Amino acid sequence: MSAAGKPSPSALVVAAIAVAVALAVVFPFFVRQQMVVAGTFVLFSCYLAQCWNLAAGYAGQFSLGHTVFLAVGAYTSTVLFRDYAVSPWIGMWVGAGLAALLGAVLSAVAFWYRVRGVFFAVITLGSVEVFRGLFSEFDILGGTAGIFLISANDPVNMNFLSRIPYYEIILALVVLAAAGTFWLERSRLGQYAMALREDEEAAEASGVPTFRCKIVVIAISAAATALAGTFYAQFLLFIVPETLFSFDHMLNMMLGTIVGGSGTILGPIVGSLLFGVLGDVLRSLPVVNSQEAASLVRIGYGLFLIVVVLRMPRGIVSLWERRN
Amino acid sequence: MSDLLQIERIGKRFRGLKALDDVSFSVEEGGIFGIIGANGAGKTTLFNIISGAIKPDVGIVRFAGVDVTGRAPSRLCIAGIGRTFQIARPFPDLTVLETIRVAVLCRVHAMRAATERAVAIAHRFGLAQKLDRRGRHLNVLERKRLELARAYATGPRLLLLDEVAAGLRPSEVDVFVDIVRAVASENITVLMIEHVLAAVFALARRVVVLDQGKTIADGTPQAVAADPKVVEAYLGAGYAAP
Repeated sequence: MSAAGKPSPSALVVAAIAVAVALAVVFPFFVRQQMVVAGTFVLFSCYLAQCWNLAAGYAGQFSLGHTVFLAVGAYTSTVLFRDYAVSPWIGMWVGAGLAALLGAVLSAVAFWYRVRGVFFAVITLGSVEVFRGLFSEFDILGGTAGIFLISANDPVNMNFLSRIPYYEIILALVVLAAAGTFWLERSRLGQYAMALREDEEAAEASGVPTFRCKIVVIAISAAATALAGTFYAQFLLFIVPETLFSFDHMLNMMLGTIVGGSGTILGPIVGSLLFGVLGDVLRSLPVVNSQEAASLVRIGYGLFLIVVVLRMPRGIVSLWERRN
Repeated sequence: MSDLLQIERIGKRFRGLKALDDVSFSVEEGGIFGIIGANGAGKTTLFNIISGAIKPDVGIVRFAGVDVTGRAPSRLCIAGIGRTFQIARPFPDLTVLETIRVAVLCRVHAMRAATERAVAIAHRFGLAQKLDRRGRHLNVLERKRLELARAYATGPRLLLLDEVAAGLRPSEVDVFVDIVRAVASENITVLMIEHVLAAVFALARRVVVLDQGKTIADGTPQAVAADPKVVEAYLGAGYAAP
């Protein structure tokens, strides 16, 4: 136990992570473009899970509304670029700021009315519908038809012809999010968040300003999610409410985090990698082309989920933890 | 010198039922004070009001001369009111060290210093061997120790203890009596609710008796125990001091 609180990772763990990151960095240079795209999507779901893990895993605020922040990021940078020629590299931070503000306001309203647990989840779910409706109505946002950007070799505006730079950008975000989570776990804010996740009244009695802490953590989580929104927009060069507000994103965040281990640094990455790679491998099997095989895969997927939750309620990373 | 805690005409109803009715008393700084009363007398409700967990319908809570009625518990904690819960509430997934440290962090903001202080407090409350144990894995006695350690770790001027001795064996009660006495010797004013009267009578210099939401007596343990109203309402015949 180090004086800073949480046990410091051992040299072996640090070395293993360094090797894993190095391999991830060089991976796209040795595979087909199709694999680079697949890897990018997997890392994208890793990153979203990491963002959601801050609010849900550490602070215990089970948001079902993170697609709103994803959309705010995507739309902010895209509209700023299209109408004002602001580079998405800058627009992404504007989007993050707006998402943080929105997250803070939404959660402040909810917590002001003492909304907790499943009711908070329902309220955030409601906010998704509200914003999906709003984003579909405004012509400046492209309405239900969305906004197209033109593919170009324009790195200054986060636009690349090769897929590799996108892969490296999202990989960098994953690494930064992990570092940020590492820092949060060892900070006063992180300790407060974990305490209030466990028991809000007891945390209050311990001097934790729960109202403020919840809002701050959700704002951070929202801002981080918005960065992924800009990335998503630039990667696909097309944004539309239907895909940004898709519940699939939410599902990926939750499954990846919960299966991997919520409230841990590596959990969301491990869980999302597993789901992403498993999904890709299963889809690429030739037998899956038949209807029966597809159903079998689906059943296997569901069973796997049930087994993990029953046998490892604290996620896959708890297997490693138990040794200590 | 003004009193550390002043309760002025506090009233609270739950769905029309009077939990507290015009309760007033004050606690001067230094020493141990007791609140006793039968189940449902309103003791815990009173604690919840003093610590900010619930708001009174009427009345004022003054702490160190300042009206603090209805402030958030975390703000009252910073102001210097620490509390324990009747049923110990350890954070299930946090370790003993982390739990105590969260409380320390409201005074000591640097993580390293807070950790050192938390370790020292764990030592003091007999939890030195359990630093890395998670809340969910603690036994009843350890939970009680942790509850007390956490409240103490917030650095209170006034410590509210809600039945810390309940459910303990007599030998264990003695341990807690010693701990409470040691805490009080550090210039921390202790206000305790107890069912275990032996503990209160051994410790308190003044006792307030609540009965059906009203104060019916307020005085030294001896005086209170001899008060016919108290004997009738709470202690029952045959318990009166000889």
